[in-house]
Amino acid sequence: MPVLLEMRDVHVSFSGFHAVAGLDLTVEQGELRCLIGPNGAGKTTALDVICGKAKAVAGEILYRDRNITRWEEYLIARLGIGRKFQVPSVFKDLTVRENLRVAHCKKLGIFRNLVSRHDGGSMDGLEKLAEIVGLKDELNRQARRLSHGQTQWLETALLVAQDADLILMDEPTAGMTSAETHKTAELFTRLKGRHTLIVVEHDMGFVREIGDIISVMHQGRILAEGKIAEIEQNPEVKRAYLGSGGISGA
Amino acid sequence: MNASNYARWRLAGYLLFCCLILIFPVILNNDYLLNKFMRYLVFGILSAALSFSWGYAGILNLGQAVSFGLGSYAMAMALKLRTIPIQTGAKGLPDFMVWNDVKTLPWFWEPFHSYAFAIFAGVAAPMLLALLLGWFMFRGRITGVFVSIITLAMLVVVNLLIIDQQRYTGGFNGITDLTTLEVFGVAFDAYSANTYYLIAGALCVVLLGGLAITQTKTGLIMQAIRDDENRVRYFGYDVAAYQNFALTVSAGVAGFAGMLYTLVMEFASPTFLAVPLSLSIVIWCAVGGRSSLIGAALGAILVTGVQGTLSESPAFLDTWMLFMGAIFIAVVLFLPEGLIGLIDIGVEAINRRRARTGEDRSKRPAMTVSDIALERSKRVREG
Amino acid sequence: MADTLNQIFTGLSIASILLLVSLGLAIIYGTMGVINLAHGEFVMLGAYSVWLLQTVFGLNLLICVVFAFFLVAAVGWLVERLIVQHLYKRPLDTILATWGVGVILQQGVRLSAGANLRYIKMPDWLTKAVPIFGVDVSAYRIFIFLLTVALLALTYFLITRTRYGFRLRAVTQNAEVARCFGINAARVYSLTFAYGAGLAGVAGALIGPLKSVSPDMGTNVVVDAFMVVVVGGVSSLLGTVASAGLLGELSGLLAYLYNDTLAKALVFFGVVILIRIRPEGMFTVHVRRG
Repeated sequence: MPVLLEMRDVHVSFSGFHAVAGLDLTVEQGELRCLIGPNGAGKTTALDVICGKAKAVAGEILYRDRNITRWEEYLIARLGIGRKFQVPSVFKDLTVRENLRVAHCKKLGIFRNLVSRHDGGSMDGLEKLAEIVGLKDELNRQARRLSHGQTQWLETALLVAQDADLILMDEPTAGMTSAETHKTAELFTRLKGRHTLIVVEHDMGFVREIGDIISVMHQGRILAEGKIAEIEQNPEVKRAYLGSGGISGA
Repeated sequence: MNASNYARWRLAGYLLFCCLILIFPVILNNDYLLNKFMRYLVFGILSAALSFSWGYAGILNLGQAVSFGLGSYAMAMALKLRTIPIQTGAKGLPDFMVWNDVKTLPWFWEPFHSYAFAIFAGVAAPMLLALLLGWFMFRGRITGVFVSIITLAMLVVVNLLIIDQQRYTGGFNGITDLTTLEVFGVAFDAYSANTYYLIAGALCVVLLGGLAITQTKTGLIMQAIRDDENRVRYFGYDVAAYQNFALTVSAGVAGFAGMLYTLVMEFASPTFLAVPLSLSIVIWCAVGGRSSLIGAALGAILVTGVQGTLSESPAFLDTWMLFMGAIFIAVVLFLPEGLIGLIDIGVEAINRRRARTGEDRSKRPAMTVSDIALERSKRVREG
Repeated sequence: MADTLNQIFTGLSIASILLLVSLGLAIIYGTMGVINLAHGEFVMLGAYSVWLLQTVFGLNLLICVVFAFFLVAAVGWLVERLIVQHLYKRPLDTILATWGVGVILQQGVRLSAGANLRYIKMPDWLTKAVPIFGVDVSAYRIFIFLLTVALLALTYFLITRTRYGFRLRAVTQNAEVARCFGINAARVYSLTFAYGAGLAGVAGALIGPLKSVSPDMGTNVVVDAFMVVVVGGVSSLLGTVASAGLLGELSGLLAYLYNDTLAKALVFFGVVILIRIRPEGMFTVHVRRG
């Protein structure tokens, strides 16, 4: 499969602290790549720098062979890169339906959207999406009234509605029950292929269920890469997770 | 009450309001009072314009009076050039220019000989200024509080400039002694029903048109930006462009309101471009309902109506402003969605009562209207 | 040569007044994120309290200044406790509420003291001109300059060397964590707001003799102070000082070349262009975003 995203020797620093120090990452189209690592390894920053939230001070980021290293976030998003954040960020004052409409962003211009019909045909697709994540009955409810779990699902739904080619997920199963985690795993497995996913996670059970290739980050760069079995046997990885009984106990 | 019912009721409310103000002159037979009501309606337009950028896009333009004032001056300039000078007998120069020893008409006054240009300029000049300022602010990712400060600073600066350049603008006194506007054979005198219908019609257009825009996807994105502008960027929308759109449209409508105001007051003055007026606009909008166009308009009409009915004396005005300041603080603290917000509270109460009848009563404790109001204000207070 | 020196001194004087006026605003915004639109009215209150004390008790200006500090600080404390403390999670609404407070203060003064211009007497020993390097400089302006420096030093000392300052810095960095360590954040906020208000009162008391005193003198002041804060950023006192210096010299120069109004307009346009290029202000240090 062709290479979708390539990061070469990327450095990100905040006032002297090197969150990402020489990151090399290559992700192929259709992959589901898991990005794991101990706290402070720089995983979230890696996602930040791809989607434009943080700026690289050195190195290159290439998306479909295009250098997007210091692009503004909304231009990066237009290329087809979507991001789910660690902290739930849905539009609290808008209803679930309205949230989904915003996320359905095929038409971006002001004047195109002025004349767009209030209830387009795309509304059916969004309602089906709401059904999949179990929010069909909440379509007219304000997002601030959803429970924590429902908010997580809404966020996932927003990302699916965005229909991005590359989806960046930051700890999607945080705070979920094992049933919900399993459901999320199913959803991701359905998404991969048509979409490419990079998932930052701590839950090893989840990673085992969905991951093809795992990339382990440590101190701002890639420590090891490979299938789950190889990673678990890797002595350096074990050392990085020192004191946590190997990564299976993380 | 579900979403589409709510939308229908709301549209009905807007249409009812429009009908009421349009048949108003038929009931009222007093020219002087009609003129007063024209003022209130113009303020309604102004307040609704602010609601568009503030309530929907989250951009609190504290300098809304700049747009208003520029519009009013544009109309005044056009009318002044057609006013036959009485005492001065000058060759087409406005009287204050003659007093200030100006020999020829300045170049930027020339185009105002044409009504078409003046009307265009009254709307376009504020929009251009807003666009320019917006480009600097929004592209620089300036948001929220700092946007408000900068618009306020812009107001102070423009006000000072207009007063300073009194040779060209009439300074403190403004542009007075104006003839009556006459287009297509229709005269728009300050006390005639023609002018009232023009203004009421404009208000209806602004309200219904504005409502339509807020229902489009662009309107929705504006509201999303108000909620979390950064998140909107990650969907690919050019947030700065949307913010600029909201600010510019709001400025254009305010400019148009300014032109109407000159017709009503028969003069243009730097007080139309001053901080006290801008403050008043914000108060009307907050009291009526910042997130509702009709709420904002009603807030303006209510406040100025009560004020106008009570008294016109300057001494009263000072006390009234003090009182309004206190009301303003109270509204900001306890009723952030304004008086229109009370309707929402009522709707919620009805919805909850309906939901209860379909569920096991032991699950949901009964909530009174005051409970709901308290919960809402608590939620808003916690952001 | 004398002309340039004169220009520099005028600029310094304007800068020191700007700094005096903006210090309170910068402190409140820098620590609490609150933009206090009543700041101009606090300045105005300071001026009026001096006028009142002078007219009724015939007190010397310097004593009145001290009174002004505590009086306006008390008003500031009240405003924070009654109104501002409920709005910390809503910054836009804080602007509105403080604007409302400003209106009430302005109208209150207008209704009680009248809208006429009032005058404050300068102490006699400060009315002369002092020659410096051949240029005559007003003794009073030198006095303001020195006092501003003193206040700056006092503020710096307060923030860096006292227990209150330590708590203030902790709460600014992270209020939640500071509370976990037993710091009473609410008390820190109200004291800070009061201090900022008090500084504004001192500013009003000092600039009173220079211009006349009227109920609406606050509005111009507050816009100037904002420009200083926007340009200077809020991460350090040094930023505020540098910003006041820059804007002071600039407006002095422009006022000399054109007039006061045009100077204000040009400075404003300059600031708008600046924020486009460097939105965080000219003198802010980049902070790591959590």
